[in-house]
Amino acid sequence: MCEAWRYPIVDSYYDGASAEGSYPFNAVTFVYDGRTGQAQDVAVTGTFAELHEPTPLEPVRFLGEPSGIHAVTVRVPKGQVHTYKLRVDGVWQLDPLNPQTQELDNGRPWSRFFTEGCQIPLTFTRRERELLGRLVSHLLPFRLPENSRFIRGVYESLDRQARANQFPLAYKLDEEVGIVNYIDKVVARAERHHLDAYRICLELIDELLRARNPGRDPLTLPRDAFADLYGAMASDQVAGWDTGRYGSPRFFLLLLRRHAMTGAFVHPRHGGNSGTAGWAYLQDRYPFDWQAAIEAPLGDNTDYRG
Amino acid sequence: MADERRAVVIVGSGAGGAPLAQTLVRAGHEVLMLEKGPLLRTQQQSPDGLSDFKRDELFATGAEKRLTVPGMANIGESYFSSHVEPDLNDEPHVYRDVDGRDRATIEGYTAQVVGGGTQLYGGVSLRFTPDDLRLRSFNAGRTDLRDDPGGDVEREARDWPVSYTELEPFYTEAERIVGLNGTRENQEKPASQDHYQPPLEPNPISRFVAQGMDALGMKRYRTPLAVITRDHEASGRTVPADRESIKTAFVNRYGDPLGLKSNTWVSILAPMTSQPNFELRANCVVTHLESDGDRVTKVHYRDPAGGRRVVEAGTVVVACSAIESVRLLQLSGAADAGGFGERIHRSGLLGRYFLTHCFGGASAVLPDRADKSKTLDSDWATDHCARADWVREQGLWAGGAIYNNTSDAALPISLARTWQARDMDNIWKGYLGDTSIVGPGFEDYLDENFGRRVSVSFMANQVAQPDNRIELHPTVRDKWGRPVAYVVKDWHPHDRALMDILADRCGEILRRAGEGVRFDGQGHVGNEVSRIANHVLGGARFGSDPADSVLDRDCRAWEFQNLYVTDGAFMPTSGGANPTLTIQANSLRVGQALLGRL
Repeated sequence: MCEAWRYPIVDSYYDGASAEGSYPFNAVTFVYDGRTGQAQDVAVTGTFAELHEPTPLEPVRFLGEPSGIHAVTVRVPKGQVHTYKLRVDGVWQLDPLNPQTQELDNGRPWSRFFTEGCQIPLTFTRRERELLGRLVSHLLPFRLPENSRFIRGVYESLDRQARANQFPLAYKLDEEVGIVNYIDKVVARAERHHLDAYRICLELIDELLRARNPGRDPLTLPRDAFADLYGAMASDQVAGWDTGRYGSPRFFLLLLRRHAMTGAFVHPRHGGNSGTAGWAYLQDRYPFDWQAAIEAPLGDNTDYRG
Repeated sequence: MADERRAVVIVGSGAGGAPLAQTLVRAGHEVLMLEKGPLLRTQQQSPDGLSDFKRDELFATGAEKRLTVPGMANIGESYFSSHVEPDLNDEPHVYRDVDGRDRATIEGYTAQVVGGGTQLYGGVSLRFTPDDLRLRSFNAGRTDLRDDPGGDVEREARDWPVSYTELEPFYTEAERIVGLNGTRENQEKPASQDHYQPPLEPNPISRFVAQGMDALGMKRYRTPLAVITRDHEASGRTVPADRESIKTAFVNRYGDPLGLKSNTWVSILAPMTSQPNFELRANCVVTHLESDGDRVTKVHYRDPAGGRRVVEAGTVVVACSAIESVRLLQLSGAADAGGFGERIHRSGLLGRYFLTHCFGGASAVLPDRADKSKTLDSDWATDHCARADWVREQGLWAGGAIYNNTSDAALPISLARTWQARDMDNIWKGYLGDTSIVGPGFEDYLDENFGRRVSVSFMANQVAQPDNRIELHPTVRDKWGRPVAYVVKDWHPHDRALMDILADRCGEILRRAGEGVRFDGQGHVGNEVSRIANHVLGGARFGSDPADSVLDRDCRAWEFQNLYVTDGAFMPTSGGANPTLTIQANSLRVGQALLGRL
């Protein structure tokens, strides 16, 4: 078994006929490890299908014998978030492999997954996202006036359907090429161990900027305020930083640098590089025919299906 | 199920195991291959029409993980691995650092997947030179060697018990069945037949390297690469209508979703899967071998669900990459000290003379920019520094190959994460730590580097030393509770002298590359003990004297009738080039020898 965050496994989908027809979907594989409990009957139910019709998981065999592991793959549209539970020999339970859970309105936790290119906020509050947006926009140059115009151009060049698919939060994303959304998703799943760092440090930074600029909302501060903060964090000497709550501002800055760089240029399936704006930015400046290798319809390659 | 029996059980499906499997299966022998990693199919093979390999930068170097192995000096540090490299916390390789402290490392892993390291490698498929196989003779009586006051080179160098002439037909056959592109002229490696497919047009950046090599009188050839450019008869693979589309920077450290990169799965194993006498079991990790006297009798492994299983074997071939093969033999010895252990350790050499390569190179920034995303891993190579005359003139014991890299830093995230990063253990650290790359500084960084960087590398023989070795770690255990591999190694002073000279040759190529090329620096791995280049060799060397080697000339363990080791562990010297093609050729040679014995 590999890292727990990979479950359920969200992978590409292909209908056997057309890239365009397949592109809007993912194949999602639920896995139940029943090696110790000798589970016989395993099924999944969730918001991705009719709740009253659980989908059975099939035993995975090795040399014709049941291995104790059960799995099933279902088709789910991209860009969605779903909650689900497993039924193991009649008993409903959370997915023991998947660390992601979400409390429903009735206060009960369900297991959760999200599909590729998901733009729905999962981790951060609106306030956290906006502050994060200001921080990352200082790291990477997409907020320089001419680049800002360029990224807006990418957005405007898309047809209405593509905008709806790729830029549902475009009012935020045009300036950050999806970096904030990438971070929202990476700490929801693959790098959950950094979730607390983000929560604590965003709160610290918000407080710090308020203290330095009484009566002003940090989100409305000029670029210089963030540039100063960046410089202080880089030297690990931030006046007023509560090291008892988070030890090293530089450590957080480097984390943010890695996530910003990745989120800007990653394959859009991971939630960053929205509408391939990051790749388009490179292509506008340099010879970089990214479409040649990338699967259609996102890129131009019709041999490789993604 | 415990009553299963197979004529031949092969442990590992990479360069050492697969070629020999083909020889045996074709001759009608019953072969079971056990592979620790999963089977990841190409699009064409997969029932859903999709490959498990993707053109996605996060597949080569994925999400951050944290090291949690108790007792390691680097506990708590980040590491980044590909999707088919093992989780270091499950099964670390531990090395002893220069400060005497133990660290876990991602260096030296190949890949845990059907096809092994050939799934992720860049595909550079060079032969060794005839002299690489006779370095004891080559250096006999020499007094001119640099930095070797103790005479270590002459004492420790060994001629291979097999000459180039004997190995040559197997090189030729390996080149035919694997599927390579490249050119032959100007190589210092004689070939009886040419099975290369035509290379594709070089990336425009490589013309500067060609100019530099020409200016220095270095005869060059197109680097032989394990990527097909034409339909490949031996494996039944076909290429896309647009051949230029084969060039993609998703090559080194990426599995190929289209199966054009000639890994052992697509080129050798997949075409055999319909044979009734061949079975490949993926996700099966061999835990130890069991013997009765001078015969290995059983192979113990865990099935994909972790259940213990046993298969009786007529002959056992261990080929799971040098470090892990040595470890498997040592673990088997530990489980039966008086029996298997006494025999496998009789020479006292198992694990010793572990080798990697002397390697390093130089880099430059070019005056104009190219689209580096359309490339394979290398365009030009030269054997100039592998020629006997040159090696002697320089006071060196052996030479090496030089070739340019084209796919490095070609994609945006890889440009950043490999920035100033010396190896897999410090990936990302250079870029993250250089906090001046921010805002307009970030744009300057891209302007300066994106599509403009070129590098030239060398790959050369490392002096064999008995104290460079693989052991079982005294305290660290893997997730199955078995001791992990402990790598203890250092460079010989002559290695550093050799690397200084070869790095300078690489630098000179770039300094002479033409108008406007800005030389950026040169260097090598001589100051770091962890560096391995994922070329893991030696540790069970072959030879003609049972007191001086672990394996006989046919790679059979001396004290066993039916135990063979066919990955890079057999090498007594590491050769002046990337090792994969030589491992494949030797595997075919051992397969041929086995035919007479089964």
